Amino acid sequence: MVETGKVSVILAFAISIYVVIASVYGARTGKSDFVRSARNGILAICFLLVIATAALLHALINLDFSLKYVALNTSTDLPVIYRITSLWAGQAGSLLLWALILSIYSALVVLDTRRRSRLLMPYVVAVLAAISVFFTYIIGFVENPFETLPVTPAEGRGLNPILQNAYMAIHPVTLYLGYVGVSVPFAFGMGALLSGQLGDEWIKYSRKWTLFAWTFLSLGLLLGARWAYLELGWGGYWAWDPVENAAFMPWLAATAFVHSVMIQEKKGMLKKWNMALIILTFFLAIFGTFITRSGVISSVHSFAQSDIGPLFLGFIAFILLFSFAMFLYRIRDLESENRFDSILSRESAFIFNNLLFLGAAFAVFLGTIFPIMSEALTGNKILVGSPYFNRVNVPIALVLIFLMGVGPLISWRKASRENLMKNFLVPVIIGAVTACALFALGVRDVYALFSYALCAFVAATVFTEFFRGVSVRSGRGENPALAFVRLVSRNKRRYGGYIVHIGVVLIVIGITSSSVFVTERQATLTEGQSVELGAYTLTYRGLEQYTNAAKNATVANLDGYKNGKPIGTVSPEKNVYKYEGNREINQETEVALRSTFADDLYVILMSYGQDGTATIRVMVNPMVSWIWAGGVVLLAGAIVTMWPGGRKEREEVFVRYTLHGGDSTARVQ
Amino acid sequence: MLKGKLKFIIAIAVIALAVSYLVYGGVKDTMVYYLTVKELKGRVPSVYGERVRVSGHVVPGSIKHGDDGSLRFSITDGGGDIDVAYSGIVPDIFKDDVEAVVEGEYTRDNVFVADVLLAKCPTKYESTEALYESGAEGKGVNAY
Repeated sequence: MVETGKVSVILAFAISIYVVIASVYGARTGKSDFVRSARNGILAICFLLVIATAALLHALINLDFSLKYVALNTSTDLPVIYRITSLWAGQAGSLLLWALILSIYSALVVLDTRRRSRLLMPYVVAVLAAISVFFTYIIGFVENPFETLPVTPAEGRGLNPILQNAYMAIHPVTLYLGYVGVSVPFAFGMGALLSGQLGDEWIKYSRKWTLFAWTFLSLGLLLGARWAYLELGWGGYWAWDPVENAAFMPWLAATAFVHSVMIQEKKGMLKKWNMALIILTFFLAIFGTFITRSGVISSVHSFAQSDIGPLFLGFIAFILLFSFAMFLYRIRDLESENRFDSILSRESAFIFNNLLFLGAAFAVFLGTIFPIMSEALTGNKILVGSPYFNRVNVPIALVLIFLMGVGPLISWRKASRENLMKNFLVPVIIGAVTACALFALGVRDVYALFSYALCAFVAATVFTEFFRGVSVRSGRGENPALAFVRLVSRNKRRYGGYIVHIGVVLIVIGITSSSVFVTERQATLTEGQSVELGAYTLTYRGLEQYTNAAKNATVANLDGYKNGKPIGTVSPEKNVYKYEGNREINQETEVALRSTFADDLYVILMSYGQDGTATIRVMVNPMVSWIWAGGVVLLAGAIVTMWPGGRKEREEVFVRYTLHGGDSTARVQ
Repeated sequence: MLKGKLKFIIAIAVIALAVSYLVYGGVKDTMVYYLTVKELKGRVPSVYGERVRVSGHVVPGSIKHGDDGSLRFSITDGGGDIDVAYSGIVPDIFKDDVEAVVEGEYTRDNVFVADVLLAKCPTKYESTEALYESGAEGKGVNAY
């Protein structure tokens, strides 16, 4: 099995090289045999990497400790599910997963475009294969997951217990599906530049794939936040850690792209901009992988033990140089077909949205690389922490939320006074009333007031849109529920996008509430003593210990009350793992969490004494659940947007609306 | 038309300036020197009262838990060691010998009062040599 895996990776590397050459050669000379064989090559790479991954999984599941990767990341006491997830617990395995996902996407692209885009596709295929050359080279020759140890040990080192968690099992894969997904639109963009086919085709595919990648990136970020919240026991979900930023930066750039690409589709504008954005997004995804995998930035003194750092930097430099050279070469073919008419228009709302997303990405990028940069420039290692990121990103985010409300309702080209009054009067009033009501209720934090008011404004604009659409349809005698379903299903992109926006609003409300209004308290309790925080009272009932196969746990039992009413036992734990391989963790904290839509009661057992006292930290985090709920809504909206079919019907609806509505500025489309 | 274009340029410039201002102000107000224990000691006394971040390895046996959940320990980097006082959430992987990062102020009585404590996750940034070096620690690893 191991030999099969090793050989598969090397074959995949060789075929990737072949595909690049054959595809470009075939396209340039018009020899379609070569083009076809290159496409088959993509399928072969996918097949080989599936085999290689299966081989590594086989070794992981059967604990073949002769493999270094298996010995480092598993142990005999590990349940099968975590032996499988060990595939992405270490460096070599994650890189194999990267290559595997890329090859699956490439195969899907090839199958999806079998009979289309004859001129564009050979170059797209070549670019995808070129990326594959890099990754298969690394896993074949530098960080080989099939590397064997001179002596087979009797036992492996085991998986870090904090990685033994259901979220951790799926979060990295989700994030990788997003990360790697960005490669596909990049390949289409580069394919367009290389082939000179700069029409609508590459944009169509890029949009589809970016949305797909964006959805997974969003989910990956949210799942990672939830994992950090549940498992790391510090009461927060986001810390602006370089590894988090690594995933956040491509998300920001991809978000900009999924918005601005609409302008190119509808108006033929921003062609250069979109091309630059897609290159940037891919760069940030690769850069993110580099940060995550090389550890250069998180580490204090060049902890960078791996050989992949310089290779990655070389690859990144190559991507940037090559793509911008191609970009300049074709720059004349990327002229806009239209121009901007007014600063008060949907086009310009999109432009500002883009600039702000890029501004945020730039700020995060700068903050992330600041330690390296300052050391290189001044010799002093200087870093900026979460306060920097919050200070810069919160104002940008607030303006972006504002634009999220403006974008859908402002008219294309040039907004008239009537358009603005008609569409925005009610939402603006709702936003203002929200702010005043909250102020009257005692909210004094300026950012929070702004944030809630803007969220109410956006929700009102989206609701207005749905209401208008439904009432036009039901005005024709359709039952409102049916009208709603048809409205959404026949304008999936538009209304799916609105649903995504509602998800974002929920997430923003959750983030605002939980970061501004968090309260916490720490107390050392002896039996019978109580601690109060907000509406909650916790009475300490003493320590209890239990043992199971994996760990010895110490539990602090607390009776919980909310407003005097019992809410059951709250029992935070400290676990000591029995197995020595896991002793890189001294004690694992298992928080007690009681979650409602109003707030989360989050209790951490900090330490306990021989005399039976316990030191606990109690936190009340308001509305954290809204973040997760918003994630579900966001996912639902993204699925609606991407659901296939329905294009013809949409055009028909467009005509009817225009006729019926009478108001050209408010029409659907 | 020219007027329209000019308006755009102004709007874009405003955004660019605003973001630059936020970044500049953010960096200026939040930047923290990141020092090794040795560098910190080298900067005495000017470092007193200044917020810094320091990294080093936790001196084995130095960790002492207070009754109220507070923590005292020492970190070293071979160029001396410093005592750290910390109160707050302790990362699970914090223990003897682990690489710790603390942020706070070095006080005149030579105690580093930290309000941030981070510990490096060894598995996540695993070293290829760690397996061989960890010799005595892990079960079966002796076999190498």
